[in-house]
Amino acid sequence: MEAAKMASPKSAPKDAQVMAQILKDMGITEYEPRVINQMLEFAYRYVTTILEDAKIYSSHAKKSSVDADDVRLAIQCRTDQSFTSPPPRDFLLDIARQKNQTPLPLIKPYSGPRLPPDRYCLTAPNYRLKSLQKKVSSTAGRITVPRLSVGAVSSRPSTPTLGTPSAQTVSVSAKVGAPVSLAGQRFTVQIPSSQPAGKSGIPGIP
Amino acid sequence: DRQTLVAVLQFLRRSNLRESEEILRREARLLGDDLGGSVATVATSSPGVAAVAAVPPGKGEARGDCGVRPSCRREPRKVGSPCAARSLGISRCCWDTRVGAVVVEDQPDVSAVLSAYNQQGDPTLYEEYYSGLKHFIECSLDCHRAELSQLFYPLFVHMYLELVYNQHESEAKSFFDRFHGDQECYYQDDLRVLSSLTKKEHMKGNETMLDFRTSKFVLRISRDSYQLLKRHLQEKQNNQIWNIVQEHLYIDIFDGMPRSKQQIDAMVGSLAGEAKREANKAKVFFGLLKEPEFDVPLDDEDEEGENEEGKPKKKKPKKDNVGSKSKKQDPNAPPQNRIPLPELKDSDKLDKVMNMKEAARRVRLGPECLPSICFYTFLNAYQGLTAVDITDDSSMIVGGFADSTVRVWSVTPKKLRSVKTAADLSLIDKESDDVLERIMDEKTASELKILYGHSGPVYGTSFSPDRNYLLSCSEDGTVRLWSLQTFTCLVGYKGHNYPVWDTQFSPYGYYFVSGGHDRVARLWATDHYQPLRIFAGHLADVTCTRFHPNSNYIATGSADRTIRLWDVLNGNCVRIFTGHKGPIHSLAFSPNGRFLATGATDGRVLLWDIGHGLMVGELKGHTDTIYALRFSRDGEILASGSMDNTVRLWDAVKAFEDLETDDFTTATGHINLPENSQDLLLGTYMTKSTPVVHLHFTRRNLLLAAGAYSSQ
Repeated sequence: MEAAKMASPKSAPKDAQVMAQILKDMGITEYEPRVINQMLEFAYRYVTTILEDAKIYSSHAKKSSVDADDVRLAIQCRTDQSFTSPPPRDFLLDIARQKNQTPLPLIKPYSGPRLPPDRYCLTAPNYRLKSLQKKVSSTAGRITVPRLSVGAVSSRPSTPTLGTPSAQTVSVSAKVGAPVSLAGQRFTVQIPSSQPAGKSGIPGIP
Repeated sequence: DRQTLVAVLQFLRRSNLRESEEILRREARLLGDDLGGSVATVATSSPGVAAVAAVPPGKGEARGDCGVRPSCRREPRKVGSPCAARSLGISRCCWDTRVGAVVVEDQPDVSAVLSAYNQQGDPTLYEEYYSGLKHFIECSLDCHRAELSQLFYPLFVHMYLELVYNQHESEAKSFFDRFHGDQECYYQDDLRVLSSLTKKEHMKGNETMLDFRTSKFVLRISRDSYQLLKRHLQEKQNNQIWNIVQEHLYIDIFDGMPRSKQQIDAMVGSLAGEAKREANKAKVFFGLLKEPEFDVPLDDEDEEGENEEGKPKKKKPKKDNVGSKSKKQDPNAPPQNRIPLPELKDSDKLDKVMNMKEAARRVRLGPECLPSICFYTFLNAYQGLTAVDITDDSSMIVGGFADSTVRVWSVTPKKLRSVKTAADLSLIDKESDDVLERIMDEKTASELKILYGHSGPVYGTSFSPDRNYLLSCSEDGTVRLWSLQTFTCLVGYKGHNYPVWDTQFSPYGYYFVSGGHDRVARLWATDHYQPLRIFAGHLADVTCTRFHPNSNYIATGSADRTIRLWDVLNGNCVRIFTGHKGPIHSLAFSPNGRFLATGATDGRVLLWDIGHGLMVGELKGHTDTIYALRFSRDGEILASGSMDNTVRLWDAVKAFEDLETDDFTTATGHINLPENSQDLLLGTYMTKSTPVVHLHFTRRNLLLAAGAYSSQ
């Protein structure tokens, strides 16, 4: 992108001139012209947020008007909320000392791809397919279980489990790093009638 | 006042003056629980601190170079006590606010740090103090003036911040305006940031400035100059400055000749001053690990098998091959099992054999034989290219972009293939010989694969040595591990909650290091979801992280303009290198592990001897930030690439050859850098308008460079 030229002082509104001056004071010489607009919008939004918060605090303290203490409190609360800063040095040195005391773990030999436990990986399927077949249930409320179910119907992702084997067997590949791919497979997923307590795989009897 | 009383009670209790304490407590009618919270914080100070407190301020020498304060810092401590420990020596009760602060405010650590700035003397006189000192230093002898001038910058900053903290805004402003022009040119960026801190509230959010306050600025001054300074400052009217010097500066005194301006200028520039001499005294195992020995057949067919040796520990006599050295253990090399390393798999052994074959055909580089440079230009990146990496065998190149994508290209004609889907996999014949080719999917083979997953610009990428994995780190605070066999994301490592600026796999795989905005570097293993080591100590963001070739040490370059070398085994910082005048953006270890080259925004490449902990060379020539540094495969040439659109080649053999490292040099850290940048420069190669972001020497010593074309 081309280096920006500053707006000519005569035509720019005063706020924009002030913002350009601030940028210059902070040593920023090259910027796109829209940066000034963005900075002004940010300043406006920030100030109105702070003042609104200050009004709320002032009315909570049953004061008749907003004063500097309210504004200071509003700024402090917003800073903790929106602009977090990294932890202070003491804290970092402390946790570093704790962490560095444990010896390095030994590496297990011949263990295939060295990945964290599955719940910390992103290798589980993160989707469910809707049931394709509508089975007529003889008793009310009972839903028949299909041939194959993949994955526990719970909110946590977990490794796929096999239900009763079907004609299309999904083989969990032992290849390095290859997750179970579900594309191109027709299968249905168990839909529980009550909250699931654990993994699926228990066939119901129609 | 109440806080002063509480603090005095604390002091009395610690000095075992029980009776006085009781009397005072009765008189002041304070409750026990007022002290309860504060006891916990100061109770962990060492007894040495109380002894220091008893020493009157006049005995500056004891505090100056005996290192009591550094030792206090290392204890397990609660939030308030480092400041308490440090300032107990000051005649005024500075620690009162800290003790009270822990009880009263809910951001105790921040206010504890800030309250180190309790008032020292009359604010209107600060200008007098400073100009008085300035006058004294300017009138001193030439040989001392250079050393004593080091005092100007830290004193200026600390006095200014004290004025701001104690809310004397107008005095602060006039102090700043009057003296900021006197400072050295390389501090101008810091001063600009400082000029925006005009109120006490501004100081709270700026972590780097806070760290600057708690850590002492280190100055290395010869004994003669120090005596001169001390004598002057201990005269009656200069006591205030003396107090400030005691509080915020650590003066590392050495016996010997005062340093010249040139020597000092080479070493200063970092946010924490220079490095103390004992910071660079630990033993570092910079040698390389023994490679396992293979029998490399000289004919073209690959004959693996019975002659191969697996574990490096078994030293059976074998046929010598290219690169094997004597069987004696290098004293500078770490023991093989110092840190656990993954064992070699069969594919790794094949890789090593390939490596050795290629090494046999390697071009020997030198001043007469410069490498050819092949430049890979990323087109249509629109200034979005933020990271590049190339595999060791130069078969794949990855680019990290500001639109949060990671794109992998195949450099060779062989396309990128991913593993087939499970349905297709069940159809192949698992017993066939070429099963490893059959599992690859030909239908989706392509030269480019795009990996989506990050939610912020990707600032660092790294291939694993076995080419199975790719790491990428991003502004969203995560480091992601991608599989290069399925081109999907496997793990997201969360730990830094702030932008991660750089990441790298270890030369043996399995471990990787990342460094980010939270000022720490972390060591991870691919099978642990939490980091194994945390390297904390930098004052500002960690911008660059690299492993040593023997995987036992990690170098981190930071925006506080220092480079630190960390030991992987226990997380200790074993070296601190200062001298750059801008944030460091590139690091390169020499292949023999002895030297480190660093490049920063100041356009200089500095060369360091790791064993001795000294700067051994300075390469001037670039005019803009150096983002890429790489040694050739045998360490003869150092290539540097920069934002000024050039690649420069330097003669590394000559730069490292005449090192006089006698005892005097290592004791005092005096360095005499020869002005030989022009002699060492072997060539400058300009691109049209493409900043150089990455450099890589292939196994045959062809130089590959990468950058994104920017059309301005």
